[in-house]
Amino acid sequence: MEKLHVIVDLAKCVGCFNCMIACKDEHVGNNWYPYTAAQQKHDQKWIEPEKHERGAAPFTEICFVTKLCQHCNNAPCEKASDAITRRADGVVLIDAEKAKGDRALPKACPYGKISWNEDAQTAQKCTMCAHLLDDGWKEPRCVQACPLRALSVVFCSDDEFAKMAKAQDLMSLTDGSNDPRVLYRNLHRLNTCFIAGALAFQDEDIQRAAADAEVQLLQNGEIVAQLKTDFFGEFKIDRIAPNSGTYELICSLDGYEPIATSVTVADESPCLDVMLF
Amino acid sequence: MDYKGVQQAFENFEKSLRTGALFVIDEFLNKLADTSPEFSAELTKQDMTVLLKLRDLSQGRVLTFKGGKVTGKDAVETDADAQIIFESKQVAQKVLLGQMAGNMEAFVIASKNGSIMIAGPDQKTLWFTSLMLKAFSFDILYQKNYGVQMPNGEMRYVTGTNGGPLFVYVKDDKIVRITPIDFDADDAEPWTITARGKQFTPPKRTTVTPYSIGWKSLVYSPSRILHPLRRVDFDPNGDRNPQNRGISEYQRISWDEALDIVADEIIRVRQTYGPGTVFGVNSSHHTWGNIGYYQSAMKKFFNLLGATEMLANPDSWEGFAWGAVHHYGGSGRRGATEPFSTVEDCMKNAQMIVFWSADPESTSGNYAGQEGTIRREWVKELGIPVVHIDPYLNSTAAFMGGRWITPKPGTDVAMALAIAHIWLKSGLYDKDYVERCTIGLDKWQDYIFGKTDGVEKTPEWQESITGVPARIVRALAEEWGNKKTYLACGGIHSFGGAVRGSYGTEWARAMVCLMALQGLGNEGINFGGLQMGTPLDTHFWFPGYSDGGLSGDYLASAAGVQLYNRMPQHASQNSEYQRIPRLRIPEAILDGHAEANNYSNSSVHGQFLKVKYPAPGHGEVKFLYKYGGSYFGTQPESNRFAKMYRSDKLEIVVSQSIWMEGETRYADIILPACTNFERWDIGEFASCGGYIDRSYLQNNHRVIHIEHKCIEPLGESKSDYEIFTEITSRLDMGHVFTEGGSDFDWVRRYFNATDLPEAVSWQAFMKKGYYVVPPLPENRRDPLALNWFARGAKRDTPEQIPAPSEFYGKFAEGLQTPSGKFEFESQTLKRYNPNDPERLPICTWIPSWEGPESELYEKYKLQLISPHPKYSYHTMGDGKDSTVNDISEHRMLIDGYRYWIFRMNPTDAQVRGVSHGDVVEVFNDRGSVLFGLEITDRLPPGVVHSYESCSDYQPIGIPGQSPEVNGCVNILTPKRFITKDSHGLSVNACLVEVRKWEGDIGKWKNCMS
Repeated sequence: MEKLHVIVDLAKCVGCFNCMIACKDEHVGNNWYPYTAAQQKHDQKWIEPEKHERGAAPFTEICFVTKLCQHCNNAPCEKASDAITRRADGVVLIDAEKAKGDRALPKACPYGKISWNEDAQTAQKCTMCAHLLDDGWKEPRCVQACPLRALSVVFCSDDEFAKMAKAQDLMSLTDGSNDPRVLYRNLHRLNTCFIAGALAFQDEDIQRAAADAEVQLLQNGEIVAQLKTDFFGEFKIDRIAPNSGTYELICSLDGYEPIATSVTVADESPCLDVMLF
Repeated sequence: MDYKGVQQAFENFEKSLRTGALFVIDEFLNKLADTSPEFSAELTKQDMTVLLKLRDLSQGRVLTFKGGKVTGKDAVETDADAQIIFESKQVAQKVLLGQMAGNMEAFVIASKNGSIMIAGPDQKTLWFTSLMLKAFSFDILYQKNYGVQMPNGEMRYVTGTNGGPLFVYVKDDKIVRITPIDFDADDAEPWTITARGKQFTPPKRTTVTPYSIGWKSLVYSPSRILHPLRRVDFDPNGDRNPQNRGISEYQRISWDEALDIVADEIIRVRQTYGPGTVFGVNSSHHTWGNIGYYQSAMKKFFNLLGATEMLANPDSWEGFAWGAVHHYGGSGRRGATEPFSTVEDCMKNAQMIVFWSADPESTSGNYAGQEGTIRREWVKELGIPVVHIDPYLNSTAAFMGGRWITPKPGTDVAMALAIAHIWLKSGLYDKDYVERCTIGLDKWQDYIFGKTDGVEKTPEWQESITGVPARIVRALAEEWGNKKTYLACGGIHSFGGAVRGSYGTEWARAMVCLMALQGLGNEGINFGGLQMGTPLDTHFWFPGYSDGGLSGDYLASAAGVQLYNRMPQHASQNSEYQRIPRLRIPEAILDGHAEANNYSNSSVHGQFLKVKYPAPGHGEVKFLYKYGGSYFGTQPESNRFAKMYRSDKLEIVVSQSIWMEGETRYADIILPACTNFERWDIGEFASCGGYIDRSYLQNNHRVIHIEHKCIEPLGESKSDYEIFTEITSRLDMGHVFTEGGSDFDWVRRYFNATDLPEAVSWQAFMKKGYYVVPPLPENRRDPLALNWFARGAKRDTPEQIPAPSEFYGKFAEGLQTPSGKFEFESQTLKRYNPNDPERLPICTWIPSWEGPESELYEKYKLQLISPHPKYSYHTMGDGKDSTVNDISEHRMLIDGYRYWIFRMNPTDAQVRGVSHGDVVEVFNDRGSVLFGLEITDRLPPGVVHSYESCSDYQPIGIPGQSPEVNGCVNILTPKRFITKDSHGLSVNACLVEVRKWEGDIGKWKNCMS
């Protein structure tokens, strides 16, 4: 049967936070029983983009990773409480009445997306705006407010979605063991590093950018990546696993001795000083 | 409702009018009252008699309103409370039949000709004329034929905001939700651009900004002012205690008391001190809508009173307005170029896009939601390389990627000169274009090559100034010189933080000179960052907010463009000539004098004229009437305002505001205004008209919308229009202000003045709430901006500026310069003052008075930039306990208080021993402000960043002399003009230091609400 799935694309998120504000617009001050009680105005965020930075000037990159209830098929919260129900379309809901007083429930979510509502004395989270979907809406509020649909919903069978995930390199936020219904595109911008640098050569007393220079990245003698510098003589090699050890970087430009250097990747993206042929 | 009864009432009344029984109004009104309890209640609001008659006394009828009933009796002479006298039967017929059909032309003509006379106390006559107009809109106002009924019982209305139009879902007079607008199958299909073998079509919906979609929390904000207030120690008949402004509390008073004080004080002050003594000042922006906007209702209000006006500086354009215009004109766009068809040209032909001090993703261009975002996504898809030049890795750069170049603030001109140096040395410019279309390059080239000052402006020279490696500038210059390149300056065509720095004039001049070297107007070579210039229909006429609204002021607004000959109305004009430059308001009040240049939209040389305060024969300001309260957030060196407000030079300060924040806390009398969700209005998505003519070309669709009165005004708040009506009515000129009706009647009149009635009926428009103007077929799209100029042809675009007299040669040939060509050496500047070292006839590099080269740098080592904010629109959306405050990029929650965010590089933080999440004090000689500190690699060392325009002003001690906690960045910025003969702010020339705040951080915990 058709179930609801969500795709979050890190490359399309402009960090406008419309999703979070739309969620608050829908849920603060409105009780949508039996789906959920109202959200607290400031102390709860059922959906929230989190900023992530990589690298340093001039190679700094910014992305936003929008986090919300993952509506897991194998939800830890479901095991922790009988207030959790799963609908046929896959949407996971918390029964506001049954969850009353269960202050431990938020801790059951490995994503931190169940929060405690002090006003209602109950645990709450994203409902996928199920009250609206049941009323004929095509998208939850967060998606409808997203300029580029960096957040999007897909209604299809779980099998079809699994195929789509494979074909489009959609990843789960963590190890996937909870079988989340929310998958991420371009997640490498969160969980990998890049190596960036600049190449130049001396033309009499002028230092010029080494455009179209060959850059090779090797580890243990194997070529990991190979590319050419841009017109600024710069390069950026992405999708390097954090803490993946030491690499050898070999840069070549016609008529010059190659430059070889080693780069160690810890948990930050190395941005190298300009290297001169 | 008895629809048949209503129809019958209208038919009978119309019939009697046509047959010559003119005034059988009593029957008409009673019948309507029978069908609608709400209308019936309307009749109970006033007991009065009114005599309607013809001047020759051939017909007349007196109507008596008593206890909610109307009785009528034929009579021509009686001592009625009010009289309405028509010149003839024909006049009465035309006026009344016209008004019934929503056509005010006959009324306006009769009124101007003296063919209709209204006599009696203003409040009574106005009540009666308004009642008639309400009756004539019975279908909308009482039968409630507006909005869309949803299956779940909610009503769906429409409104507009500074960041896009909205659907507003309402139940039981309460807003349930607001959303962007998803179009339906009946709405026009969008355009398609075909570029490089791909087709691009925007989706059928509108986009919004966070400060738009957060509006429900602003409507229901605990900061809303719900009742008129008087400062407890302000006694208009006794001690006024001005020194306690900003300190003392307020007490609730009645509307009558508040309005009587305001009206009495207007009369007292003007009679005692003469013209110019009442000063009417709007805030930086207002709630959306062409009737309620400050250039509409407020404009007319102050015109009728006679008031000193605030002389606005062109604050988002600055350097373009005071600099770039001298090279190529465009005064009517404040130094910007025409935008037509540039999006399509850029996508088809550009080989590179340079964003230089341009962040449309943060500023929405201006008002345009997230409309441009998808087009920048398309550019990513097309693989067009982009470069971003900005000290901050702004949102556009973060989203698009591409090379980020970080000149030190205020030094960009040096980098631009080095680019020009490379081009001129290696011939990487359009020599044919320069030969045909420009003059004066030799003078600029001499300067660049160092012939005039001995300094060659090489990439190596600029490196020590800008901090940008010479090889990067060289690489950029060579690429740019070889590739067709679009240049984006600011969110649309002529903005950008760099124009608001020291000598921002020179930066804007450098930008336009670079583009002239590359052949501005040739295919693929133009201004823009995909934000403005979409292929929409520019021939469908609907005015923008700066086109005058109901003001009738065709001299001081853009009403003269077209509204004046489309909408029947009375003209209004301020009869007082005193103006105070916005950047010198505190000095004018405290020192008694101020001056600045007057930016002219109609000519380039007009800006050389000075405005001086006080004006001859006018008095000094004693009464400050402030509309909104944003200046602490938006104006430089803003502690000045606290000092001004607490001075006894101001005998009375009135604030007309929606929320209690900022300057509102410094008023003696506060008049609570409602939001545009609580009143009627009409407008268009991102359309301001006037100085950004056709600014809707930022959008993917032209969306013209009503602003339904979605809910009743909260508390006792009233629409601005109603407040102005009540005050003018106390001066017996309410009927002059209103022309007889309510803001709803003006909305209807406005609708009829535009092209809308040809496309959609009033009833259908009121129901659905919006109309999407279909884009023209591809073969009718506008010609490419300035391409005519590059080809040496006559102008063929729908551009309406400049004025004919600004063509020194033949009309519509060439640019708005004396030569008609692009002038590298400006003749206007040469004629005005060829030796002004701050603005020579050619663009030059001038070190900042407050930058790394200045003396002050010894003391304050950090350069602060404070661009327009991303998550609020000036002060709108921020504070007020709105949900926008929860955005972690907007404010930072530390110990229960949401601090405004201050951003700094890790190296600078380490040196100062401050860490991410600290409360820090940022200070210089002008003041000190507390912020939440964010450590980020989005800034190079030496540059710090914080958006301008927090909404409130919360000094922790004596106002004007204490650290401020709400994040008023502008306390720190300089009031100095960008160049001396101007009126332009230079907030981005600002040195500060930062230290960890060691004081208490708990005591202002609750002041957010």
